[in-house]
Amino acid sequence: MSEAIALALVVENLTIDIDGASVVDGVSFAVEAGEVMALVGESGCGKSLTAFALLGLLPDVATIVEGRITLDGLDLSSLSEREMQRVRGNRLSIIFQEPTASLDPLATVGAQIAEAYTVHHGVGRSLARAKARDMLVAVGIPDPDRRLTQFPFELSGGMCQRIMIAIALICAPRVLVADEPTTALDVTIQAQILDLMKRLVAERGTGIVLITHDMGVVATIADRVAVMYAGRIAEIAPVEELFARPSHPYTALLLASVPGRDQPPKQPLATIDGQVPAADRLGEGCRFVDRCPVAGDRCRSEAPPLVECAPGHRAACWHRDRVAGLAGIAA
Amino acid sequence: MARYVAGRLLQAAIAVFGVLTIVFVVMRFSGDPTLLLVPEGASQEYVDALRVELGFDRPVVVQYVDYLGDLLRLDFGVSVVQRIPAFDIVAARIPYTVLLAAGALFVAIGVGIPVGIAMAIRRGGWLERALAGVVLTGQSMPTFLSGILLILVFGVVLGWLPTSGAGDLDTLVLPSVALGALSMATFARMARIAIVDELGKDYVRAARARGLSLAGIVGRHVLRNAAIPVVTVAALEIGNLLAGAVIVETVFAWPGIGQLAIQSIQSRDFLVVQVIVLLISFVYVATSLLADVAYGMLDPRIRLAR
Ligand SMILES: Nc1ncnc2c1ncn2[C@@H]1O[C@H](COP(=O)(O)OP(=O)(O)O)[C@@H](O)[C@H]1O
Ligand code: SF4
Ligand SMILES: [Mg+2]
Repeated sequence: MSEAIALALVVENLTIDIDGASVVDGVSFAVEAGEVMALVGESGCGKSLTAFALLGLLPDVATIVEGRITLDGLDLSSLSEREMQRVRGNRLSIIFQEPTASLDPLATVGAQIAEAYTVHHGVGRSLARAKARDMLVAVGIPDPDRRLTQFPFELSGGMCQRIMIAIALICAPRVLVADEPTTALDVTIQAQILDLMKRLVAERGTGIVLITHDMGVVATIADRVAVMYAGRIAEIAPVEELFARPSHPYTALLLASVPGRDQPPKQPLATIDGQVPAADRLGEGCRFVDRCPVAGDRCRSEAPPLVECAPGHRAACWHRDRVAGLAGIAA
Repeated sequence: MARYVAGRLLQAAIAVFGVLTIVFVVMRFSGDPTLLLVPEGASQEYVDALRVELGFDRPVVVQYVDYLGDLLRLDFGVSVVQRIPAFDIVAARIPYTVLLAAGALFVAIGVGIPVGIAMAIRRGGWLERALAGVVLTGQSMPTFLSGILLILVFGVVLGWLPTSGAGDLDTLVLPSVALGALSMATFARMARIAIVDELGKDYVRAARARGLSLAGIVGRHVLRNAAIPVVTVAALEIGNLLAGAVIVETVFAWPGIGQLAIQSIQSRDFLVVQVIVLLISFVYVATSLLADVAYGMLDPRIRLAR
């Protein structure tokens, strides 16, 4: 198998507008089969919009103005809604931040898992139910027969997220998009869910796009990382490379708040002064300029391109040479 | 669930008792009923004798306790005008009102719910605007006016349908439409709001994410969730229908409870009025109780609560 065929999902130059502002701007990344690609950044950076765009689930206010999304060689951007329905939950799945709200409160979890199978495979009730039961076992839910007949309100948040994972994986998709899957959960449950996802990737070769704002989560599970800032990719690299040699000031500051790779950080990463600029206040130059401790004149007028600084490692900064001095800052 | 129903039953009993008391008090303090029953120029002795015979000379409290005692024995008294049991007079009219209410509900639900669903799904499109016009018409037209208009158009001008009295099924059409129009608008509005509300929820997005079509999601998930608030309103609507029936039955000369209520109030046949009010409040309470039970059955969070 050649390198190119192993790419499960390719996103090229994805640009999403809301009210004329590019809230996602020229985002490109790829996910290989069986790898975890983390998309990390503060709240409001456009991570969720990127995720929704992959599935064709953008809210009405948002439009894709440019870009190509390719799943296993299939250009998703060219598909009709009907064709896209055959892809969703079948070859490309997504789970969300609020697992309990993502389940219909009036339907049993068994029915909802089975539905995810029957909608793509016209099979009978009993076969779908058996599949659903298998999935419950696969996602580590004890006493599956009883769980199948329960309603979402009878289950904990962590349990509901396992159900959502079961729904997402029942058709064995190539790629699973996980939008902050553990943010709403307790810390101990978070670790369990991450373990589960890691195991599923290894067992099934599913590619994962893991969206998070937590560098600790990235350290735990990711193979590669794309750091997003205000709708653009600031830096993208294999995880060890990124943690060892951050080449964008934003990444360096994010990492400065992480204690170490082995113990997850207690606090989330928004410990950098200032805020992500609002969508209507995105200037011409680098979008990080107002918060950047090493910004120069050029930064305000001209957006830095994403350039390769090591194999598989790209960063978008005019002053990469100044980043090394930042690493020790907030520690 | 059993405890929930028991609690609601107790509340229902208290509500009926309250209505009963209010009606009794209002009827007794709005004038001496005896005077209305005697012929012009009757002697004072005759009036007094009749008052004693009918028991109106006793203190109101005694009359009230007596009345409650009779009710407990399901004795609803005798019409002072017709001198036959008040209950029989009312009972003879019940089937007509039930038929009319059923026809009106059929119109209200049969038209209102699909209209509401269509409006929610085609939100912002021409179909929604067109249907909104229909709903607004139903909502803003007073029942007596829509009744008269229906009579004019379909009865007088087109001559398609009978406009008064109760007979074959075709006599039911116009009164049902007149009575159901307002509820139709309510159902359509409620259904639309409830469905739009549900469509914005996370589980809908998640259902799309597993490959369901919008139609599939509405059919399998959204309608059931949206039914919960609508069912509650449906019960209140049955109460409103009974109120509207008073007008519609008068306009269409429909021999139901509503028409009887007007006639009995005019002739101050208050034992009959009391039976009617008791009946209507009983129906009102029973339907809202029924709605609560339906609500509980639809929602597992209530159904499975202990
Ligand atoms: N439905 C929406 N309507 C208007 N603006 C939105 C909507 N969804 C997201 N946005 C805007 O788009 C930007 C990116 O949002 P999002 O992708 O949700 O960020 P993230 O997931 O990284 O926190 C934010 O500025 C947000 O305000
Ligand atoms: S381009 Fe300039 S402002 Fe942007 S991150 Fe680099 S140094 Fe900071
Ligand atoms: Mg988000």
